[in-house]
Amino acid sequence: MSVKVEASHDGIPHNKVMAMGLILALVSLYIAVAGAFAGYDYLAFFGGIAAVGALIWGNSTIKKLCSYGIGTGVPSAGMLAFGSGVIAMLFAAKLAVISPFLVPIAGLVIALIVGLVLGWISNSVLNMKIPVMTRSIAELAAVGSVALMGLTVVATGHVSFSEITAFNIDILGITVSFYDVSYIGAGIIAVSFMLGAIALQHPFNACLGPGEKQDRTNMLAIECGFLSMIVMAVISFAFVSLVAAWISLVIGLIGWFVSYKKYFALSKRDAAAWLDAKPFSDAEE
Amino acid sequence: MQEIIIGIGVTALAGALAAVAGAAEDTESNIGSQGDPNSQVQLAPQMGYTHRIYNKAVSGEPPAYTLWVTLACGVAWAFIMMNVNAVLAIIFGTVLATFVQGIYATTAYLGRTASLSKFGQPVFIDVLKSVTTVTMGHAFVAIFTTVTACYLMSTVLHHPFALPLLGVVWGLALGAAGSATGNPYYGKERQYQNQKFGAGVPISASGNIVRYAEAGQRSSIDNGFFTAKLGGPASGLCFGLIVFFELWRTVLFEPIANGWGAVVAGVVIILIFMIIDRYVEVWARKNYGPYTAAATEA
Repeated sequence: MSVKVEASHDGIPHNKVMAMGLILALVSLYIAVAGAFAGYDYLAFFGGIAAVGALIWGNSTIKKLCSYGIGTGVPSAGMLAFGSGVIAMLFAAKLAVISPFLVPIAGLVIALIVGLVLGWISNSVLNMKIPVMTRSIAELAAVGSVALMGLTVVATGHVSFSEITAFNIDILGITVSFYDVSYIGAGIIAVSFMLGAIALQHPFNACLGPGEKQDRTNMLAIECGFLSMIVMAVISFAFVSLVAAWISLVIGLIGWFVSYKKYFALSKRDAAAWLDAKPFSDAEE
Repeated sequence: MQEIIIGIGVTALAGALAAVAGAAEDTESNIGSQGDPNSQVQLAPQMGYTHRIYNKAVSGEPPAYTLWVTLACGVAWAFIMMNVNAVLAIIFGTVLATFVQGIYATTAYLGRTASLSKFGQPVFIDVLKSVTTVTMGHAFVAIFTTVTACYLMSTVLHHPFALPLLGVVWGLALGAAGSATGNPYYGKERQYQNQKFGAGVPISASGNIVRYAEAGQRSSIDNGFFTAKLGGPASGLCFGLIVFFELWRTVLFEPIANGWGAVVAGVVIILIFMIIDRYVEVWARKNYGPYTAAATEA
């Protein structure tokens, strides 16, 4: 039985953060999917916003889970989340043959189920006995799935299985599909996976300590989300239209710059001192 | 025959690139205090020892390097798809990966240090500026060489994996090699030079890391100077050998017995190394033995 250690007192309770992150992520995903459904990809950047929403939620979950003293488990939590998330995302993407609007919600539900099973295994079978374990792993799997879908949309403009496994090129009026150079065939999904997994664990891992503050950690989560979006936007030049890729890149850059500056300001607020080229002085000496 | 000769050439080149990558990776992580040594850097202010050592915790080295190399590979692939010259594409990918690495490094330093405000640990902006750029330089070298090795495997050796997937495999291997081989040369040795050699770290000395250098207060750049001598080359040798043996057994033994030749060669290589490792361990134990208290004069 692990002992709970309070990381810091939160201003906003976890359930509220979760609700806000989830709504932001799902609404953004649906806007992007609606854009793709209507036949243009200019709204692909909403996938990045969805990833940001998912990361804010996931961070709060990691903080809750990791208050049970699993220090080195923080990076592993990010990997686990995206590992289960990728299963759910691919499963859900298959359902796009019925309707593309089914994919985001199906991804969320399947991930929750996968996560519940994994959480039950780690808590009961592996005997880790952490009270919030089952729920947290389920939440993390859902976060992984939603963030992965968001980053996929930024890169390709789509979430449906047929679109992310084929790259269509018009040759002499005939459309030819290539698997090798598609989002999954070329392994770009591995880039999304790593970007998301590190971005998910980084904010809490970087801010942990007795002086951790919720708003600063959340700002870092937003920064990590936009930073991942920048990379996916650069890669998206190979998949989506030029205009759509530029829109994603510019919005990613602006979002990242604003949140990075804000994070610096918050760190300055919380730091014991902010010194430039000055030596330290020991309090006890 | 020609294919085998080209294969051997690529194997040698990739092994050399990997040796450089390993050396740069270990130096980068030691300057940034990533991985194992970071726990003591984090602990020091809580024990009353404020310091100017970089406190960077992006994650363990293997996942962090998996991200940098994978994303560089992905971006390079996207640029190659847009008909950009492969060398330029790899450079673009590496630049973007180094940028992401630098941003993660600064946010990790700021976050961890600001959260230690209770213990009076200040944020040093000059440390942030000087150390981050040095780690970024080393990261650039490590990422560029690894991505180039991946590209060679993918195009010349026709590896069945896509470029970003090779990035996952070799980024992880690079981080693991640097973490496992390089850190023992740094970790406790560098941080506890003020303790008696061979004594281990007694609990009472926890967090009492070396904070002063010859010319005043020490920053982490000094760690690069220290570990570049043994830790970096050892990591380079380790990662270089991994890449070299891996490619060499594939190039030479793949045609034998439907691919099983390569598998058997791999198992034999592992067995040979296990015997060597065991021999070195027994030899070291016999010669250096466990720590014994210094004999007191009667």
